[in-house]
Amino acid sequence: MTTLLQFKKVSKQYGSSTVALSDVNFSVNEGELVSIIGPSGAGKSTLLRCINRLIDATSGEIIFDGMDVLSIGRRNLKKLRTKIGMIFQNYNLVERLSVFENVLHGRLGYKTALVGALGFYHEEEKARALEILKSLGLEEQIYKRCDQLSGGQKQRVGIARALVQEPRVLLADEPIASLDPSSSKVIMDHLKNICETFGITVLVNLHQLDVALNYSDRIIGISSGRVVFDGMPSALTHDAIRQIYGSDPDGLNLNVERPKEVAQKR
Amino acid sequence: MAISPAAQPKMVNDGKPPLVNGRLKLRVLTKSMLAIRVTLIALAVLTVIGFMTFNYQEVHLLKGIATTFVNFKTIFASPQFSHFTFPEAVHQLLITLSLGVLTTLIGALIALFLSMLAAENLSNKTVSNSVKGLMAVIRAVPTVLWVLIFAVSAGLGSVAAVIGMSFHSISYLTKAYSESFEELDQGILEALQGCGAGWWQIICQAVLPSSLTSIVSWTFIRFEINFGVSVAMGAAAGAGGIGYDMFMDSAFYYNLHEMGVITYMILAVAMLLEYLSLQMKKRIRA
Ligand SMILES: Nc1ncnc2c1ncn2[C@@H]1O[C@H](COP(=O)(O)OP(=O)(O)OP(=O)(O)O)[C@@H](O)[C@H]1O
Ligand SMILES: [Mg+2]
Repeated sequence: MTTLLQFKKVSKQYGSSTVALSDVNFSVNEGELVSIIGPSGAGKSTLLRCINRLIDATSGEIIFDGMDVLSIGRRNLKKLRTKIGMIFQNYNLVERLSVFENVLHGRLGYKTALVGALGFYHEEEKARALEILKSLGLEEQIYKRCDQLSGGQKQRVGIARALVQEPRVLLADEPIASLDPSSSKVIMDHLKNICETFGITVLVNLHQLDVALNYSDRIIGISSGRVVFDGMPSALTHDAIRQIYGSDPDGLNLNVERPKEVAQKR
Repeated sequence: MAISPAAQPKMVNDGKPPLVNGRLKLRVLTKSMLAIRVTLIALAVLTVIGFMTFNYQEVHLLKGIATTFVNFKTIFASPQFSHFTFPEAVHQLLITLSLGVLTTLIGALIALFLSMLAAENLSNKTVSNSVKGLMAVIRAVPTVLWVLIFAVSAGLGSVAAVIGMSFHSISYLTKAYSESFEELDQGILEALQGCGAGWWQIICQAVLPSSLTSIVSWTFIRFEINFGVSVAMGAAAGAGGIGYDMFMDSAFYYNLHEMGVITYMILAVAMLLEYLSLQMKKRIRA
């Protein structure tokens, strides 16, 4: 297995006092589904955004697909971003545009400024977008405006937008935090499926420990900007949970063993 | 003076809501409410003092008001053409409308670019602040004054009116547009940046579609303002159009009947504009 992404001593400081990430080291292999867990304010969102440079890390080194992320120039940054798809808790779609238009935004990184601004897309691009929309069960919504969709549908549009980029990695920042349990399952199943069938690496920030345990190949736990756990879901002991969340697992209403059984029944 | 304990509002923090005269108070008097009350009272007092100390000279207040109403009656009850015909009046009205359209269009086009620089989320802080500052200064000077300022170099007339009115429209619309851009969800910009989209692509594919409704409605509001100003400019700056005719009727011919006609025509146009803007907004929102 090849390493796709590597963090080496990455730190991020906001202003002069807020340390969001400090000395973060980890690496992610191609085709893995990695969950990042940790309490609010631990730095999960910051970590994901450092990968596609929506946020610039203060120090350290991030290697993605052989590129030194922190030192690349403008042109290469655009190229880097086309290889990284991202989905968000709030979907972040342009509500007044149609599903189809929103999905095709994923192709903007491949276009010149003018062609992209005018919204001209190749027939192959449109055909590919349609195919992806169909695979996500959205073929009936393609000409609907995004403000007419449900949360679960919006998130699938978000996934489609990321997939038309033909990315190497998919970053998901709390993709199911605003969804009900059954829509959450649909979204997580899609992410798992994307990972397994297309071999796209998935990094997902989660607040739901049971979901992280059920779906991930690996879990990274962070607390106060530091990686405090990095291992298989089966290795996430009570001690580790206590270290990540700072309180006893029993007090958190979490049972590490039980959700797994539930998952197998589903 | 002794205040009975019941009349005194009790402290909020003693656990119970304040009671005045045995009744529950709906809200607590805050500093800002107090300031508003003081201001209103001061304004009322000043108004009374103003009316008492006016230098009325020969004019008797009540008689003056009565005469005004008689004039109103002449204007509105018996409109009649005398110096020009209906087609001529329509022609003049069109000139006034064109002045409004032209200055709004110029203003909107330039403001669209400036507002992208002025919006904090699309530009950087230095550029945004300098554009905003400049626009605030321009906006602080009334439109009429800008027209008169430009009249110094262009001479009184339509050129000064077009430049001056456009100038003020630019600053007004820049503020309006940039504020609607700033209301845009930061996450959408982030998402498109994450796809590798550039600045122009983000503007055209996310910012403009999202704020189209407010851009159109602000532009229309400005057009309504500019139509009114065009009428005034016809009189004050010799920009021509229906305003000039009105000025001539009132100041030279003293023809109140014809003024009535003009007033009705302007009113009709204003109502038509209102109706159009409502229809347009409905269509865009759908
Ligand atoms: N733009 C910003 N400016 C200043 N501080 C910030 C900014 N964004 C995040 N922070 C701070 O950085 C720290 C990490 O924030 P981050 O959003 O990465 O946490 P998170 O783990 O994603 O939390 P959550 O689970 O609530 O989303 C927090 O202390 C936060 O207050
Ligand atoms: Mg977050």
